[in-house]
Amino acid sequence: MNQIEDGFLKELRAMFKIEAEEHLKAMSSGFIELEKTKEADQRKTILESVYREAHSLKGAARAVNLNDVETVCQTLEDVLSKLKRQQIKLYPELFDILHDTVDILKVIIDSNKVQDISSIMHQLGRLSEGYSKEDIQADKLENREFPKKEEESDKKGVEEENAGEVKVEKANDQKASDLPASKAEPPVANPKIVEKEEPLISETVRIATEKLDSLLLQAEEMLGAKLAVNQYLSDFDVIFKKFDLWEKEWKKYATEISLIKRSFENGENGNGFKKKNTEFNRLFEFIHMYQDQMKSLENVLNPIQQMADNNSRIIGGMVDNLLEEMKEVLTHPFSTLFKILPKIVRDLSRDQGKEIELIIRGSTIEVDRRILEEMKTPFIHLLRNCIDHGIEKPEERVKKNKPRDGTISISVSQISGNKVEILVTDDGGGIDAEKVKKTAIKKGIISEAEAEKFTEQDALSLIFQSEVSTSPIITDISGRGLGLAIVREKVEKLGGLISLTTEVDQGTTFRIVLPVTMATFRGILVRVAKQIFVVPTANVERVTRFKSDEIRTVKQRETISLDGKVIPLIWLSDVLELPRMENEDESYSFIQVMVLNVSEKRIAFVVDDILNEQEVLVKNLTKQLSRVKNIAGATVLGTGKVVVILNVFDLVKSALKVTTSHKKEEKSKEETLMEKSILIAEDSITSRTLLKNILESAGYRVKATVDGVDAFTALKVDEYDLVVSDVEMPRMNGFDLVLKIRDDKKMADLPVVLVTGLESREHRERGIEVGANAYIVKRSFDQSNLLEVIQKLI
Amino acid sequence: MMLKKSNRKTSKKKNKVDKIVPGSSDQNTEDTIENKRIHRKLSAQKKKEILQSRSKELADELFEQSNDAEYFEVVEFILSFEKYAIESLFVSEVTPLKDFTPLPCTPSFVLGITNIRGKIVSVIDIKKFFNLPEKGLTNLNRVIVVETPEMELGILADSIIGVRLISRNDIQPSLPTLTDIGSEFIRGVTEDRMIILDIEKILCYPKIIVHQEIDT
Repeated sequence: MNQIEDGFLKELRAMFKIEAEEHLKAMSSGFIELEKTKEADQRKTILESVYREAHSLKGAARAVNLNDVETVCQTLEDVLSKLKRQQIKLYPELFDILHDTVDILKVIIDSNKVQDISSIMHQLGRLSEGYSKEDIQADKLENREFPKKEEESDKKGVEEENAGEVKVEKANDQKASDLPASKAEPPVANPKIVEKEEPLISETVRIATEKLDSLLLQAEEMLGAKLAVNQYLSDFDVIFKKFDLWEKEWKKYATEISLIKRSFENGENGNGFKKKNTEFNRLFEFIHMYQDQMKSLENVLNPIQQMADNNSRIIGGMVDNLLEEMKEVLTHPFSTLFKILPKIVRDLSRDQGKEIELIIRGSTIEVDRRILEEMKTPFIHLLRNCIDHGIEKPEERVKKNKPRDGTISISVSQISGNKVEILVTDDGGGIDAEKVKKTAIKKGIISEAEAEKFTEQDALSLIFQSEVSTSPIITDISGRGLGLAIVREKVEKLGGLISLTTEVDQGTTFRIVLPVTMATFRGILVRVAKQIFVVPTANVERVTRFKSDEIRTVKQRETISLDGKVIPLIWLSDVLELPRMENEDESYSFIQVMVLNVSEKRIAFVVDDILNEQEVLVKNLTKQLSRVKNIAGATVLGTGKVVVILNVFDLVKSALKVTTSHKKEEKSKEETLMEKSILIAEDSITSRTLLKNILESAGYRVKATVDGVDAFTALKVDEYDLVVSDVEMPRMNGFDLVLKIRDDKKMADLPVVLVTGLESREHRERGIEVGANAYIVKRSFDQSNLLEVIQKLI
Repeated sequence: MMLKKSNRKTSKKKNKVDKIVPGSSDQNTEDTIENKRIHRKLSAQKKKEILQSRSKELADELFEQSNDAEYFEVVEFILSFEKYAIESLFVSEVTPLKDFTPLPCTPSFVLGITNIRGKIVSVIDIKKFFNLPEKGLTNLNRVIVVETPEMELGILADSIIGVRLISRNDIQPSLPTLTDIGSEFIRGVTEDRMIILDIEKILCYPKIIVHQEIDT
């Protein structure tokens, strides 16, 4: 644990250094500007921004335990705020001190060593106490040498103590103070330092990701150029084929024409056809000229074709290289994503009273930055799951003869050119397949008959379905049964796979396979209602065709049978709100079908035609089309045609809607007749009103009570579907209320949601103990959270 | 600002376009393809004459309209035989409507998406806002790409008239008889019945953003 924290602090310090540098830079440029301007208004805004920088630096320093920096910043803040309020006047000497402060801060932060800050503190202190200009000047005279010496001796100390830092220090020093001197020195004079410096600091530039994205966009666009050149090449082929055809035809007539010509020249000569003869000669001349023209045209086109051929090769190579390198620029190591994890694990495990060690391996492997961004939430969900459900309490672990501290390990490895494998393993209690099955049956996701046929693996994969959770209580960490569903959706969206293996009391391993780049993927081109669409190959289980008479209906819904399993059949055109095409040609008795497999749901979609499979480049839709249902994006085909990429997750969801739509309508009618009623117990009037408003606007009938006793009386009088209760209340608190409800025969099954400001583990556990169905901490309290939980419960 | 005068070969995949009005000139398509050939055949003298007359026109215009701050520049275009205008400050470019791809599951005002130099741009048909009659698509159709920091999209125009300066004094506020949904997007009308659109308002209109989740 300690080791991890040390490592974590080190990482944090490194991040802090970058951040601090920015703050310091902003501060010193602020001071310089301040010196230049005379206008009061402008000065005020500059002071304000410098003040904010100092404040943020102070906060950041506190997080990494740099007390010196914190103290200096605090005093600096005092001075600045007095300047802002114009309690102190600005004068040149004051700026010296301010700049000195920034320098000292820089030294402390760069060297990571304890520095003597008494002198600067003294000066700043005097400033903030409002010493007059003269005082400071006098002070300055006295102290002029002092701070300088101080600084230098500090640096010397650092040099002696810390050999690693010396070069950086020295370089800074030279740049800062002895600039002319170092310039005068030829670089050869000090070759050792130069050589040693380079391997230490690899040159990096920070670039806004937007700029990189736009570069990638342009590089991808170059693909268009490549494809266009190829198109020209095939156009040339067409032209030359036409030439060949012409030549062939020409040869057929050529002999005949020359025969006719000769017969004219010989036989008919002198027979009074003289005049006609010249006309014919003109005709022959024309034919010759025509032939020559065609020939020369061919000769002109030949080198152009050659050139196009060369160009296509050169451009093709250049574009491919450019794209590849561009993609490399966009890759980041996993460590950028994993950086946040130790803190999450630490905080969550402390919160739960568990001791957990996090081991990360292979974090240097690089993947597309966009994939890392997308994977951030899934990782947090996975870890929460491991901590909340996986790892047991220390006491329990000891009982099971396991080490007190739980271990979660994340290891990344490259399994092929474009695939990485991530294993998230915990040594906790494992997942009980039977328990998962039971929950799934209880939630009505599978029937008991189905459950019996389930293998263990089948049952385990159920935990990726939403609403399946083995946790007895909903907390704000987990238990809502959504986390793993989100993980799977994200992973599959990125074209990856997720699976798990588990052994009771040994632990659980989640295996995620992800692509390394995401700019392109393979897609199947299908035609529906005369439009072409792309479906990601990863989600297509197979494409096939059926005879129309193989369609059978089950409860009015069309199905087909595939490998002995019945799967629903949906017309893709129905989902996309496009007209169904009538079958025109000979394939009338067949329907083309594409079977999608998304989140364990298999649905067969009828399409008009399946064209081919190819590599496609994803482009996002525009700002105006922020999210279009069933559509994931667009791509540009080789012909320049823009084609829509379908969102398979939406397709499956919409398909379920198409089939269940009439059923739902009936249900909603019932719902409006029988609106659900909720009882609120809350002593604070503000919270009570807020809750009441939220619930009423969500369509519930609401009755508010002021404490547990009041609530319990109300429950006796009327029937309610759910209780939302505060914990801390006069007369009877929330826990006691739950206990009372659970003890009552009539109300024992009434769902209770505790909404409270008490977020400690003990309280949450107490909530579970007394039998509350959900425990929501007010801090994380927002409408959707509460409403979501309530919807789950009633 | 550049208006691209040269017409490109429009796609012949007319089957994608389901709104072709009979009589929309097919010969026009031929014309545009021939443009280059026509240019080549013009004599040098003739070309010079044409260019001179054009530059004279441009110079005249500038001379007349001085640089009074009261004037601002608009892109003038046609929608269903009426003249509309957008302040050119917001127009980033005007391009011919080449091929476009209709999007399923979108409101009817979304014509589709098109590829403008590698960027996907959505094209909307504001005729739908003003309840104007359909006119079908021809090769004269242009996409006016308008841009604010928050939003960028293409507006379909039946055809482009050009760029001109108009005086703020010449604009009358919208007519009292215009009361339908579209009226709030109108900044005013000039004497020659040119309708000046409030493009900022159109781009900020929340309903213009398509954002649909599927609830399960």
